[in-house]
Amino acid sequence: MVDERGKVFLMPKLVFREERCKGCGLCVLACPKKCLEITKKLNNQGYPVAGLVDPDRCNGCALCAEMCPDLVIEVWK
Amino acid sequence: MSSPKMELVNGNEAIARGAIAAGCKFYFGYPITPQNEIPEYLSKHLPEVGGTFIQAESEIASVNMLLGAGATGARAMTSSSSPGISLKQEGISYLAGSEIPGVIVNMSRSGPGLGGISPSQGDYFQATRGGGHGDYRTLVLAPFSVQENYDLTALAFDLADKYRNPVVILADALLGQMKEPIILRPVTPQSFDKSWALTGAKGRPPQFLKSLYLNEGDLTRHNWKLFQKYQQMKAEIRFETDLTDDARMVVVAFGSVARIIKTSIRMAREEGMQVGLFRPITLFPYPEEALFRLSQKVDHFFVVELNTGQMVEDVKLSVDKGARVDFYGRPPGSIPTPDDLLEEIRKVY
Repeated sequence: MVDERGKVFLMPKLVFREERCKGCGLCVLACPKKCLEITKKLNNQGYPVAGLVDPDRCNGCALCAEMCPDLVIEVWK
Repeated sequence: MSSPKMELVNGNEAIARGAIAAGCKFYFGYPITPQNEIPEYLSKHLPEVGGTFIQAESEIASVNMLLGAGATGARAMTSSSSPGISLKQEGISYLAGSEIPGVIVNMSRSGPGLGGISPSQGDYFQATRGGGHGDYRTLVLAPFSVQENYDLTALAFDLADKYRNPVVILADALLGQMKEPIILRPVTPQSFDKSWALTGAKGRPPQFLKSLYLNEGDLTRHNWKLFQKYQQMKAEIRFETDLTDDARMVVVAFGSVARIIKTSIRMAREEGMQVGLFRPITLFPYPEEALFRLSQKVDHFFVVELNTGQMVEDVKLSVDKGARVDFYGRPPGSIPTPDDLLEEIRKVY
């Protein structure tokens, strides 16, 4: 992957433990690249879960994982 | 002096931990979002303190188990969310009629019917007007933070024993799901005379607890006795006032929305609006006298609820006749932000 300044980096991988998600959207607010959204997918508890909708923009900064109060998101680089 | 130890706790877990701290030994429940962390926590930790956790076959079974455990004098709790609490109303009426203590937690969600799992305050009438059949009331506590979830749950057990009456914790999905650092204060449960409890009649004559009164005059006397008890409960009235000393308008809100609007009030103050907050913590008995006294000083009230207008009736009944009462209601489906509510304050101020 190449970022906006032409720097090459490995595409990060985000893993969502969706059963822990309550759809609060704090990760969406925390993401500086605006690549997360609360999706239409519901987990077993009935909450719409967070997901990465624009993986190309994700730079793996992990602010979403840092912000998530329910430890839903893991970021692999 | 070292600062007290704080722990990051989920709102539902705080309820469960408050119950254990208050000496709750029995929990009966049936799963429903958004309160599942209460049974989840208690299923693991109640047995560790010698307690019993039962996931019953239904909400109705669990509230009747609460009645049975309460009748033996034990401290017991059940929890659910709005549709489940509707199912429990029959048992709550029997608890009130038989004067058996018990704690019922309503992490309310939206209705009517199955509604949704988002926060709502649509159960205000149900909680404060009795809820089931008959002329009874439950004592209703409304926390607005994870800390209060813990503190008020612990308090609920003392109040239930003191008045031999069901006590309802009315919170909502927001208060159940959020996480905050709280102080898990040690609780000293008060002890009360429980000579009425059914403990096996060893060394005493047999006794029973009932809510059926067929002899002429008995039920009248029983209802008046309950009425007297509900009057005495006024000793437990709790409320919070914030920035009301110089206020020209007072916002009246409880629970989660009070939490949100507290921020809006700070923002309004920065814009020079003299706004304060009156937050009832006991919803029954309602802090009507305190609100009346306040209305002799301030003549403008603004009631904000996550429903289309329930507590506003109690505010109108409480305040001085000359006071103006405005209302903003947000039905379930979206949670207002502090900015949204600031805008509503601007409109009425």
